[in-house]
Amino acid sequence: MSRPNPLILVVDDDPSIRQSLVRELALAGYDAVAAADGVEGKAVFEERRPDLVITDLAMPRADGHAVIAAVRRVDQTPVIVLSVRGEEEDKVRALDLGADDYVSKPFSLRELLARVRTQIRRSGAGAAPETFRFPDLEIDRGRRTVVQHGRDVRLTPTEFAILELLAAQAGRPVTLRQIIATVWKGAPATTTDTVRVHVGSLRRKIEPDPANPRYIGTEPWVGYRFLAEPL
Amino acid sequence: MGTLRRVRMIPMRSRAFAWAAILPAVAMVTAIGRGTGADATTIGFFFLVVVLGLAAWGGWAVGAAASVAAMLCFNFFFLPPFGTLAIAEPAHWVALLAFLAASTLASRLVATARSQAVEAQRRRREVEILYDLCFGLFTVSQRPGVLGDAAARTLQAIGAEAGTLLIDGVGPPVSVIGDERLEIDSALLERALESREVVATTPAGLRTAYIPLQVGGTLNGVLVARGPLASRSVLEPAGRLLALAVERERLLAESAWLEGVKESEALKTSLLRAVSHDLRTPLTAMGLEIESLDRQLADRPEALASVRGLSLERERLARRIDNLLALARLEAGVARPRPEPVPPGSLFRAARESLSSILDGRPVAARVEPRCPDLWTDPSLTLEILVNLLENAARATPPKEPIELDAARDPESPERVFLEVRDRGPGLPPSVRLWRGGEFTESASGGLGLRIARSFAETNGGALVLLDRPGGGTIARVILPAAPEEVT
Repeated sequence: MSRPNPLILVVDDDPSIRQSLVRELALAGYDAVAAADGVEGKAVFEERRPDLVITDLAMPRADGHAVIAAVRRVDQTPVIVLSVRGEEEDKVRALDLGADDYVSKPFSLRELLARVRTQIRRSGAGAAPETFRFPDLEIDRGRRTVVQHGRDVRLTPTEFAILELLAAQAGRPVTLRQIIATVWKGAPATTTDTVRVHVGSLRRKIEPDPANPRYIGTEPWVGYRFLAEPL
Repeated sequence: MGTLRRVRMIPMRSRAFAWAAILPAVAMVTAIGRGTGADATTIGFFFLVVVLGLAAWGGWAVGAAASVAAMLCFNFFFLPPFGTLAIAEPAHWVALLAFLAASTLASRLVATARSQAVEAQRRRREVEILYDLCFGLFTVSQRPGVLGDAAARTLQAIGAEAGTLLIDGVGPPVSVIGDERLEIDSALLERALESREVVATTPAGLRTAYIPLQVGGTLNGVLVARGPLASRSVLEPAGRLLALAVERERLLAESAWLEGVKESEALKTSLLRAVSHDLRTPLTAMGLEIESLDRQLADRPEALASVRGLSLERERLARRIDNLLALARLEAGVARPRPEPVPPGSLFRAARESLSSILDGRPVAARVEPRCPDLWTDPSLTLEILVNLLENAARATPPKEPIELDAARDPESPERVFLEVRDRGPGLPPSVRLWRGGEFTESASGGLGLRIARSFAETNGGALVLLDRPGGGTIARVILPAAPEEVT
């Protein structure tokens, strides 16, 4: 759909959040529509086909998880979830259902707008490039080489696969389950501890300061997020 | 179901018939032999068959009598000299002995077979009784609270007319069946409890049994039964079955209790979630409005100062709510840590981001020792610890005074990591000094933050220590386990 401005659907049962978000998104240069619950949200999504969906999780009638599932049945429109601090299970469930990112209430507008920008940019980008370039880090997917600050980094195939997955999703949280599904093809014996061991050794190889990661950030209870912005 | 029949080798009436049949049978063989003119050998075999048949039917005595009668007839009518009872030749003695031996053998064999059949029949009845009991106890009713029912079934199965169940731990003694109350003989009861075997007596012709109920080595009661009871080989397994039923009753009661506990935890969790959502949603809306105001008033510095004040208060309110919810989670017992390896640097960064307004403009220096390992801790709970300590430090010191965050391996124990929040404030307040002595008394909101920090540190297998900082100020040290060095 060709639009002058990206269209964003806001689904939240709280009227003040709905109104402020619509207003602020408009000020930030987006077109915004709102829906008061999951059922209405699904209907507006079908009708308007927005470029991005922001949805609360706890809502009367259909909740946010139902909205994500409805969107994913249709296409890959980015979905950002408004979750609540401390409700990590809900967050992980939303991400595993196909949500692209989340912010935790109380979130700041600046935080949300940054996530929106990342998602709009990602969904506009074409196929993933042959080489990922980040500040001081280059990942060549064809030759399977990694160069960090001018030095070659030797990774095991598993470490490379994890790095490739996280870098391809740069800026977006990747759940442990998603890593197991992609890197280990969901092999039943793979535990979250296995993933953590490999991420730990990956960090020691590519992070200049592993105790203060610059590339691979930990998302508490969720998984990891590639922190650096692609060049 | 009732008592078992007594084992009897051969029924009386059958034996009488066999005695009566001896003379006609021998007479018939003699008549046939005389009529057909068969030779002595053939007739001898014929007599043998008849003797065998009679022995099988009437037992050894009948067989012996039949063999004497057969021998006499054989001798008189078929062996020379005919018409006399003289046994002229030794061979005829052999014939007589053969008849006797054959009848003895046959009657023995038949008696054994018969007694085995009767025994098998008795066993089958016992198994039937126990099977019916088993079925009645374990498949028919799955409801809890049917112990009386189970005991009544057991008593019926073993043929009791009256009975009482004495249970330890589940309920009062249940008088199960029978109109009159059973007199319990405490000596017999004691004996049954001690020996763990069925104790039976027959006072005044009424059989009474004390059946201990034991399963897996535990005794969980005694069943007292009176009436024409089944044999001991039924009473013992019946007692075990009832013991299993009692045990099941106990487990059902226990699982119902656990279910209740689980439900109340689920209720607490969902209540906390609802409260958490309902409190944080308006805070979010407030925050969004404040940000909007902040933008709109960019060119009015004095209005902007008010907005900043609002923002700070909103953040404080958010912190208080975080603390109260954290405390509620702790007290509801639903704050369970999920540890994972956490780099200290990312915790420091997240803690600073969580307090952006409160720390506004204040220098916060974070330092992670070069060889400091990751923490093995729950990241969310640990962030809560740090945020509380950082907020306390910010409150204790003037606005522009720097605060330091420091992570290092415990020099004395490499499996532990120190996370420290250091300030140059007035040092430890007296209430906290008291706490260091083990008698922490809470003071205002700072106390709440410390209490949460300490509880969460302990929940994560660590500790919180407050130290006077050399040169003035406080060091709040969180001691947490280090993540194991991964094998690569």
